[in-house]
Amino acid sequence: MKRNLFAVMTVLLVLIGLPAGLFGYQAWRTGQLAWAAGVRVVDIVARSPEQGGFAPDHLVLKAGEPVRLRISSPDVVHGLNIPGLGVDVKEILPGRVVEVDIKPEKPGRYAFACTRWCSIDHWRMRGVIEVKADAAHPAAQETQTAPLYQKLGVNLDAVWPMDGPRPAQTPSAERAAAASGGLPESLLDPSQRVATAPADAFRQLRADPAHSQLGDGEIWDQVAWAWLHDVKPETLSMAGSLYSRDCAACHGPQGKGDGPAGRNLPGMQKMDATGDGASPPAGPADFTDPARMLNASDVVLQGKILRGGMGTGMPEFGSLYTDDELWAMVQYIRTFLFQPAGK
Amino acid sequence: MSRFASRRWVLGAVTLGLVLVALLAPVPLAGPAPQERHISVNARTFEFDPSIVRVNRGDTVLIKLQAEDVVHGLYVDGYDVSTQAEPGRPGELRFVADRAGAFHIRCAVPCGNLHPFMIGKLVVGPNLTWLRAVAASVIAAVGALAALWRP
Amino acid sequence: MRWAISEVPFVKRVLLGRWLHWSITAVTLTVFVVVILTGIFGTPAGNHNFGIVYVWLVWWALLKIVLVPFLGRFWCSVCPIPAPGEWLQRRAMIQPRPGGRLYTLGRKWPKFLRNIWAQNFGFLAVALFSALILTSPLVTGLVLLAFILVSLVTSLVFERRTFCRYLCPIGGFVGVYSQMAPVAVRIKDPAVCAGHKEKTCYIGSDAGYGCPYFNVPSKMVDNTYCSMCGECLRTCPKDNIAFYVRQPGADLLHTKGRRLDEAFNGLMMLGAAFVYSVVLIGPYGWLKATARAVGTPGWFVYAGVLLIFNAVAVPGLFWLCVRLGQALSRKPAARTGAGGARTPGRRDSLFADYAAILVPLGLAIWVAFTLSFTLINLSYAWPALSDPFGWGWNLFGTAQMAWTPYVSGLIPYLQVPLLLAGLVGAIALALRTARQHGQPAWSAVPVSLFCLAAVVGLLTLYLA
Repeated sequence: MKRNLFAVMTVLLVLIGLPAGLFGYQAWRTGQLAWAAGVRVVDIVARSPEQGGFAPDHLVLKAGEPVRLRISSPDVVHGLNIPGLGVDVKEILPGRVVEVDIKPEKPGRYAFACTRWCSIDHWRMRGVIEVKADAAHPAAQETQTAPLYQKLGVNLDAVWPMDGPRPAQTPSAERAAAASGGLPESLLDPSQRVATAPADAFRQLRADPAHSQLGDGEIWDQVAWAWLHDVKPETLSMAGSLYSRDCAACHGPQGKGDGPAGRNLPGMQKMDATGDGASPPAGPADFTDPARMLNASDVVLQGKILRGGMGTGMPEFGSLYTDDELWAMVQYIRTFLFQPAGK
Repeated sequence: MSRFASRRWVLGAVTLGLVLVALLAPVPLAGPAPQERHISVNARTFEFDPSIVRVNRGDTVLIKLQAEDVVHGLYVDGYDVSTQAEPGRPGELRFVADRAGAFHIRCAVPCGNLHPFMIGKLVVGPNLTWLRAVAASVIAAVGALAALWRP
Repeated sequence: MRWAISEVPFVKRVLLGRWLHWSITAVTLTVFVVVILTGIFGTPAGNHNFGIVYVWLVWWALLKIVLVPFLGRFWCSVCPIPAPGEWLQRRAMIQPRPGGRLYTLGRKWPKFLRNIWAQNFGFLAVALFSALILTSPLVTGLVLLAFILVSLVTSLVFERRTFCRYLCPIGGFVGVYSQMAPVAVRIKDPAVCAGHKEKTCYIGSDAGYGCPYFNVPSKMVDNTYCSMCGECLRTCPKDNIAFYVRQPGADLLHTKGRRLDEAFNGLMMLGAAFVYSVVLIGPYGWLKATARAVGTPGWFVYAGVLLIFNAVAVPGLFWLCVRLGQALSRKPAARTGAGGARTPGRRDSLFADYAAILVPLGLAIWVAFTLSFTLINLSYAWPALSDPFGWGWNLFGTAQMAWTPYVSGLIPYLQVPLLLAGLVGAIALALRTARQHGQPAWSAVPVSLFCLAAVVGLLTLYLA
């Protein structure tokens, strides 16, 4: 009987002790941080947007409170970027937990987004962290500046004419570097150039008698120079990574609008595909299309990236990109048609 | 030893020999000259497209992996090389196909529930591995029947 | 040709004692508890879930590659699923109750189910859902929980290991393939058994329990229903039973009087290996997704095709081959009336007898199939050990280990010799079957070609 008793006790230990031990360990492990270090633990489950996206997707934190985010995924690879809090988790593998410690100091709203293409609706996978002010961390002054397109009264949704001058070869800022003297102020000053379309700049330069001996190609090179002469390689490189992370899936790695995620977007039908040049073609924008891109000014491009919302599936990046990043993206997009200096 | 038994051993030995020849004998197949092959492989849950990639022995294979929906990877059995890709960020794999045969290609990044079964094939050269195995099977079957035949 | 390993004094002590089986069972039960808990509560990502990894990779590889080919049905004696039920039934774990008494309702298992048909169809049923089961921890956990609950109930309502013998889908094919194993539990001297009326090996005694699998050791000629639990060694007062190491596949050498349910099992397992090789190992993503989308119209079509293929097409084709063989030999099968050595009174069935050749072939095919995915994915076992639930633990420091396919280039070199060996074994057995039935060798040719076609088909699926 003693042998039976020992055997029975062992098995009961397994059947009861094991679950208790496993779940107890988990409780201890998560509680240990909270009780011991006063760190608040927040579990975020990242699922494909069709299954709910981030859960929770809205966090309310206190300014100055240390928080440990434990991010896991039950299905595919996700990423998590909280630009305002300096969090950039590049890979959350299914079945693993990534832990990130944050301590938000400034009250405000911080958008976060998934950074790995996790489904056809990946671009919807966003959330927001609200950091509440308190006595020690007062809310910052509301300095909401209107986006530039609003200040300038530009209608982002207007359909602009697609006709107009086109270069015969890729304009190169490099080629124009030597002969770049004599550009008007309206093109040299970024704040003025920003509302001008490159095609309009071409027309302006072409009409100028000072450039009458220059060929069309050389004028286009001047336009390219005007747009890209002050762009730094680091800026392009940074914008290139953002492009590859956030844009290439729909707009294609070469900017042709042929990315796999850009097919069958929900808003595709809204775009008129008459192909008559009077309206934009269906699908993500082809940044290598001169008819489309050379007739668009920088402020329009920046506005579209910032606001999205054309009803086409183009997400908004205003909540995730800084102003510098937005303008860097515009310059990067220009390099699909213009060769920057130094190349 | 009875006639049957000695016949059995002789035929069995001959069969085994022929099977080994079929499986192991070097075949001096001068295939086409090695070239550089650029192959675009699309990965989607849960398959590769094309599902079978055929190259010649000695070719320098450059596979551009393009993912259509989520993050996928590509791993080649036997060659032990891998890359990964997601929509908008293709991956590249470069290797010399110096080993002939058929090799499974597998997804190397968890891409969903059927990920472990996301499988395709790379066939290098005339598919000698398959030919040898089939030849060996036929020889083994015929040999077994002959060796153990008792009318 | 056999050697009684249990005659070695140390081995005898270990086998006769109950601690060996109990302690291994305690380990498997522990793992089983973790499997159920992680399956139900752990991450849905299969490759980092202890339940999926340790059942469908580790245990399955162990079972198919090591346990069944070398130890026959030994797994069943340490399986956790019947264990709690058996302990409750016996009200003992180590020291047996007097007379080997069982505390159950004592219901008799219905006569028409005293075969492995339920296990055959049970396996087909599991096969229908396998794309889902293998990739969903929750479903795996719930299915295994259901198994253990059914086993518990049958243990208390019926007698002995009714679940294992008549219901468990795994037990069905493990039993049939265990005929290939180089081990066997058999009586030493039939004359001793003839003179022993009490048959404590079947009835039980103070020393132990009657065979849990309803075997009568003196009549046992194959491993199909013997889990080598050693109960009969403990209860035999004449020390007339032993564990033997013997020629692999010896059970198949008597080719007459085979059972139809076992034959069907061999055919169905062959078909299942093909279906799995096409659906899971093949390159058709749409087929895999359909196979997993249980309940959708596409899945019903898939299920129908699978059932017809396994239950009708493959057995039907084999039956045609048997008939063709008889036509070729221009001699009908001899009706010996009294049947073979296995089941007296059973009419000779050439179909069932020939189907036994699928045992060596089927085992080789299943080992080859298992190799094609287990070695590649075995490296998931290390992170799953440190972080069984996928909750971010790191118990043994291995939680971040990346997926590393093992010996991926070696797999075809393992599969091909295996399949060749299975093919030769099957054909040798087919010729032997023909001879023992008084048929000319031509009668064995169509079924041999059937085996050749199966091997070539599988090689094409894996290598072409």
